[in-house]
Amino acid sequence: MSETVTPESDVAPLRKRFLDNPRPALLWLVGALALLVLELGRILGWVKALGTGVKFAVMTTAALPKWVGGNVESAVADTGVLPGRLEPVGELLGSGVVTVLVFGFVVSVFLSLSERRVTRLLRPNMPSYRRLTVERALLTGILTVVSALMVLTPIGGLVESMIGFLTAVLDNISNQAPTLTSREIIPNQGYRSPDGSGWEGTFLGLSPGQSWGVRVAVVYAYAFGWLVWLWRGYNVFREQYRAADWTPRDDTLDRFSGHLWGLFGLVVVFSFVVLALWAPAISTVPLEERSNEPYRFEHQFLDDEDIEGNPLTDGSGDLETVRHGQANLYSVSKGKGQNVGLFSYDDFDRFSPLGTTPSGGDMMTQLAHGARTSLIIALTGLGLATLIALVMALLTAYYKGLVDLLTVVTSDTIVSIPLFLLVMMLSVIFSGSDHPLVTPLDGGLLLAMVFAFAFWPGLWRAIRGPTLQIAEEDWIDAAKSYGQTPSKIMRKHMAPYVVSYTMIYASLLVGSTIIVTAALSFLGLGISEPTPEWGRLISSGQDYITTDSWHVSTVSGIMIVFVVTGFNALGDGIRDAIDPESDIGDGDAAAAGGGG
Amino acid sequence: MGRWRYFLQRVLLSIPVLFLVITFLFVVLRLGPVDPVAARLGPQASGADVAAVEERLGLNDPLWEQYIRFASDLLQFEGQSWVVQADRGIPAVLADTAPPTLWLGFWAILLPLFIGLPLGFYAGLNPNSSRDYISSGLGILWLAMPNFWLASMLAAFLASTASGGPLGFEWHTFGPNIQSVQGTPSLNFVTLSSIGPVPFPTGLDLGGFARDTKKILPPAIVLGSASMAAEQRIGRTAVLENINSKYVETAKAKGVKGRKIITKHVFRNALIPLIPVITNEAFLLIGGSVIVEELFTINGLGRTFFQSIIQGDLPLAGSLLFVFTLLLIVLNIFQDLLYTIIDPRVGYDQ
Repeated sequence: MSETVTPESDVAPLRKRFLDNPRPALLWLVGALALLVLELGRILGWVKALGTGVKFAVMTTAALPKWVGGNVESAVADTGVLPGRLEPVGELLGSGVVTVLVFGFVVSVFLSLSERRVTRLLRPNMPSYRRLTVERALLTGILTVVSALMVLTPIGGLVESMIGFLTAVLDNISNQAPTLTSREIIPNQGYRSPDGSGWEGTFLGLSPGQSWGVRVAVVYAYAFGWLVWLWRGYNVFREQYRAADWTPRDDTLDRFSGHLWGLFGLVVVFSFVVLALWAPAISTVPLEERSNEPYRFEHQFLDDEDIEGNPLTDGSGDLETVRHGQANLYSVSKGKGQNVGLFSYDDFDRFSPLGTTPSGGDMMTQLAHGARTSLIIALTGLGLATLIALVMALLTAYYKGLVDLLTVVTSDTIVSIPLFLLVMMLSVIFSGSDHPLVTPLDGGLLLAMVFAFAFWPGLWRAIRGPTLQIAEEDWIDAAKSYGQTPSKIMRKHMAPYVVSYTMIYASLLVGSTIIVTAALSFLGLGISEPTPEWGRLISSGQDYITTDSWHVSTVSGIMIVFVVTGFNALGDGIRDAIDPESDIGDGDAAAAGGGG
Repeated sequence: MGRWRYFLQRVLLSIPVLFLVITFLFVVLRLGPVDPVAARLGPQASGADVAAVEERLGLNDPLWEQYIRFASDLLQFEGQSWVVQADRGIPAVLADTAPPTLWLGFWAILLPLFIGLPLGFYAGLNPNSSRDYISSGLGILWLAMPNFWLASMLAAFLASTASGGPLGFEWHTFGPNIQSVQGTPSLNFVTLSSIGPVPFPTGLDLGGFARDTKKILPPAIVLGSASMAAEQRIGRTAVLENINSKYVETAKAKGVKGRKIITKHVFRNALIPLIPVITNEAFLLIGGSVIVEELFTINGLGRTFFQSIIQGDLPLAGSLLFVFTLLLIVLNIFQDLLYTIIDPRVGYDQ
């Protein structure tokens, strides 16, 4: 046995393989950087938005101790023992305990990710489990002291102003940075020049419609460029740097690239995601200007019609300025002659590729931003649901017994309440309160959390079987006998085999979340104004379906059908590509939306 | 005994589930942020009124007493509606609103069975032909169409036929005459009389029956659309699986005629995987009934639930949700029972 070379030793680490032959990777990297710089402003904007989301999560967690402390305080007050003295103690105790718990959790997660231990320098011979406990206690203590200092002394204010300064710098960069698809580079809001020679203020003097088309084409070309470049990068990795000539994933990709239906789904989902990400560039007029605060922003147009509406042919029209809000009143789509249809201009020369809404907004703008809403809700809700389902599946498969039984009963309870009614009830009841979770996206975040609550049992059920099978494998026993901690066994030896399963199941649910979100806002629940939502568009155009303004409900409905079909097709494609024999999600009407 | 034991386990497990549902409803409705007094009296209620209502609703009692009263009210279908049908008992409301929903549900299950299944079988018998693609494409589109959109389009379209439309005839007067697409079917085509407590039908008004059927057809088609797609898909797969199986080949070798193979062997076995689909429809129907009933203004359980939830009528909303959940639990047990009887493979691995 000693002559044979172990497989590890004849494969150089990725770092070495890269250093031996850096050219292809560097070439690819240069291309990727060029793409990045072209849209730097917008990408920094996304980073900023992500940062806002993280900040919100942190702030909500930070508000937890105070909230619990307040509750404990009032509970202590209710008991009536030693009035006026025990309450502050209870408040401090409650908030302190929660603070320590939160920090303890953060520290445990952090420590489980890294192998480095500070105490190893001081006491190298400590057993590893005790070292872990000591480190957890130590770090939690440090964090608690630091946060107490931040709250109780002026250091907190200092740190806050520093963060504010950094944010302002980032803001500045993202505003200054070049953005290929920005309105400044390809403007489409212009007016006809009074001398009749064309358009002023638009891209190359094209009409607003044409320049809008150019911008949308650039957006999609740019996004497609990224897609091609990423695929190329994967190929570069596969041909130049990957140690193995063949892996099962190659077959999966081959099968997928021959799956026409799945490719159709990929195209639709890609277009949808681009629509959502570049919503501000794809909208003809920024959402806040035309719909959210229409009386703050002005629009210039050439008034060359006399009072009866006949065009003045002598070129005597003059430039007028109107507020979007006023202009919207004349550009509503309400049937009976009041209509701005597909690919048309309203009286103020504002171009609407998909017509206007019954309140005079631009359909394309509303649809693009509505796509954004749907995508954020679906990703947040299903991401949370996947996380819960995965953790529960690992725990129940590893420990079995009572944990498993309790989870079965809990999930059976949630599943036996009709999904749509459950989501409806929870979103109505919680949106009535003025909880801070209701504000983001006008109820969108709340809806995402309701989805997470309603969808995790189904996901958990779907992966429970496979996870149980993996927990029975020999390598789990081996790891146990080595003395590995349960959390590490679950993470390293079980999770990798079920993560992809969970994600496939979750991707089958994207269609349902889109439909249920739209159905709720159609009924006037879930997401309130002004956050745009497709369901609300359909409901606003409901009375005009059989009039000239048929486009409002019809176009938005077709969009939903299209996108949901796309997600279903992509799900079918991925499923067939990963395992042609499997029947994941077959037949239970994955995207029927629970009756939405 | 394995499978019967498994079945018994499932039945026993549904008891804690039922109590957890009650507890969940209690927590959400009573301890959630909705203020029952404000829902009852409106936000500007004064002190004395508030105190009186709190006393009457028992909001000052200890929490466990409130919980026991809540649970026993739900289990005995007692309690009163607060707002939607003010001060009427829950059983009376249920008796009024259940028949239209049942009528709608009956047609919403029947229509897909007679449209979706044949389409799926047809597609499965002609796999990969253009007819298969058309049928499967229809199924995929049906599945992706949201009920609320389909319902509003269909309602608007049928209403527009009154002033001449692409149909060439007026929907309202075509066949049995109905006033409007909207509205609750009257359902008085059966005359009932009873011997003792058992009612039995004595007469049938065919005109009324036709009117009510025609009235319920559009909402039922919308409500059944998702199930129709699921049945189409499963019917196709099931036929394809069975038509390539060994026993069909054996039957062919024995010289059994093509038509007989299909009716006797293929269709029969293709029906087995359809049992869960048809019972699963209940889930879709209950959720969808809210939307479809609201859009076609049918005063059924779904619309009443929607009204009660947006008007803060907590007892009614809670009771209706409990009834729906109870229905689903019973249906699940029924489905397990069917499986236990029909498919001997269930439960052996457990």
